[in-house]
Amino acid sequence: MEKTVLIPTDFSIASLNIVKNYLSMQSSNTRINVILLHGLHQNDSITSLLFYSKRRLLEDLCSKEFREGCTVLKNKYASQLRTMKTDIFSGLTQAAFDQYAEANAITEICVPISYKPNFKNKNSFNLLPYFKVSGLPIETAGSETDIPMPEKGKVAELFFNRVSVS
Amino acid sequence: MPQQFYTQMKMKIQIKTTLILLTAFLSIILLFSGFVYLSVSNYSYEDFYKLLEIRAVTTARVELDRESGSQEMIALRNEFFEKLPQEKDRYYRITPGKSFTEEAKALDIPITFFNEIVKEGKSEYNKNSVFYKGIRYKSKQGEYVVIASAQNYFELHHSAYLRRTLVFAIIAAFVFSALIALYFSRYVFRPLRNITDRVKEISSENLHLRLANNSSNDEMSDLIGTFNNMLDRIETSFETQNNFISNASHELRTPLTAIIGEADVTLSKIRSTDEYIETIKVILDEAETLDRKTKALLFLAQTGFNGKTQKFDKLRIDQLLWDVKETIEKINTESRIHIDMSLLPENPVKLKVKGNEQLLHLALSNIISNACKYSNNNVVNVSIGASDQNVFIIVKDHGIGIPGNELKYIYDPFFRASNTLKYEGYGIGLPLTRNIIRIHSGEILVSSIVGQGTTVQINLPIGKFE
Repeated sequence: MEKTVLIPTDFSIASLNIVKNYLSMQSSNTRINVILLHGLHQNDSITSLLFYSKRRLLEDLCSKEFREGCTVLKNKYASQLRTMKTDIFSGLTQAAFDQYAEANAITEICVPISYKPNFKNKNSFNLLPYFKVSGLPIETAGSETDIPMPEKGKVAELFFNRVSVS
Repeated sequence: MPQQFYTQMKMKIQIKTTLILLTAFLSIILLFSGFVYLSVSNYSYEDFYKLLEIRAVTTARVELDRESGSQEMIALRNEFFEKLPQEKDRYYRITPGKSFTEEAKALDIPITFFNEIVKEGKSEYNKNSVFYKGIRYKSKQGEYVVIASAQNYFELHHSAYLRRTLVFAIIAAFVFSALIALYFSRYVFRPLRNITDRVKEISSENLHLRLANNSSNDEMSDLIGTFNNMLDRIETSFETQNNFISNASHELRTPLTAIIGEADVTLSKIRSTDEYIETIKVILDEAETLDRKTKALLFLAQTGFNGKTQKFDKLRIDQLLWDVKETIEKINTESRIHIDMSLLPENPVKLKVKGNEQLLHLALSNIISNACKYSNNNVVNVSIGASDQNVFIIVKDHGIGIPGNELKYIYDPFFRASNTLKYEGYGIGLPLTRNIIRIHSGEILVSSIVGQGTTVQINLPIGKFE
């Protein structure tokens, strides 16, 4: 069995914890593709369109810790996780999102129980409304409360987050 | 002296820049004027030869052919053809088998000139700014060699004028470009001079001073940023050194004071044997403490220097962690260490690092036993994970934590946080651990919230084994 799951991300380690929680709930014979999606309104000036590069944009957004965290998860779920990629969604309409979901063959969406994204970029936007209308099955993962911890923002944050999975 | 040397160097670079710019300017100007001079004089030569040819043809027509209407031609020629300076038109009949040796001698021009006219039909020659153009002309009487010669007016006047103009232009351009080059090199090196002046003001007395960074995002602001960073590090290391000396002397003096005091009191009067035994026991105890401290210091110093090469082997981090756990549990039976393997990579190759087992064992047991100690033997979570470059070891306790403003001093030898007074220890463990991690080109990150706990993250690069 193969699944493609869409998980919203703000490029924080906390959002990787959702991935971790989601993966830990899956049965071991499922092959999973994870797409970490970030909503970002694009500047539509001619120069930024001319020099648009998604790769560079993602490089700017992803911190070193985030990338390391991704590979930690990839190594942990090496046999289950087929692919894991970060992507940017910059559509404005629901139809655009539906197209994106269809094109990437999304089977499922996983969102945190309490989704409070902390965006670094002011052009980022919350994808949750699109998810709700899309009609795709939505799973929730993560914890209700946000416990303050010393390792916030470090790769260490990924390691201790024993939270219940609903 | 070094400052002077630096100024000299900078001046040299400035002069060098000026010279390079000047050379570039000059070579362009010289190339340009040379090209102009050559092409203009070349053009004027050709033009003059053409003029002479017309004269020669006209002369031949008028003198040799004597066609009808030649009278008008002569009149026209005299009226409109301005006489060229020293213009002379000559014609010689070509008789087969006779060469023009005499004529050549008389005119003082080489015989080849005549031969070429006879052979090719025309020829050019110049000597002392007198130009000769010869053509072969076929008239009714027979074939003739017609030679028109005149002094080149251009050669006499125009070319000298052109040369003069060009030389003046070159001199003017040289002066002008020298000024530009000088200004430019000054302009380029002005920020550098400013930086030098400001850096000179900073000495060990006022290390808190920083360079003002008011320029925009260019190379100079990068340089200033780098300088400021370096000053930050120098300031910290100065502070560290000061702290270290005061802390070390304090730590070493405490047992010594105890020993001296104990001995002093005991010697003040005759004591019983039991009292002597008691005293010597105390002295031995203190001496042992002193010994431990100096040993730890020695070890710290040894790991701090890179001069000594440690033996590095292949080792698996998870195995090492279990060993460490065992060791700590042997020493401190109350410790509760929970090793969490939930993010253990599936591929065990990713857990192998290149390292010295003894040193890493020491470093990890330091961290984990600290975690146990400062959390009053609460559960300590130890977790492992690996990305493609690093192995992560994360030790998390729920202990007393480290005050935020003291976090930057935790790697100073003998430094102890203000909330650790009721715990034993003398502040060597963490600096030692950091040295060991550094030897393994790893990284140690400590983050903490007072009263909540501390998390230590150790990143070790995965060993590359072929």
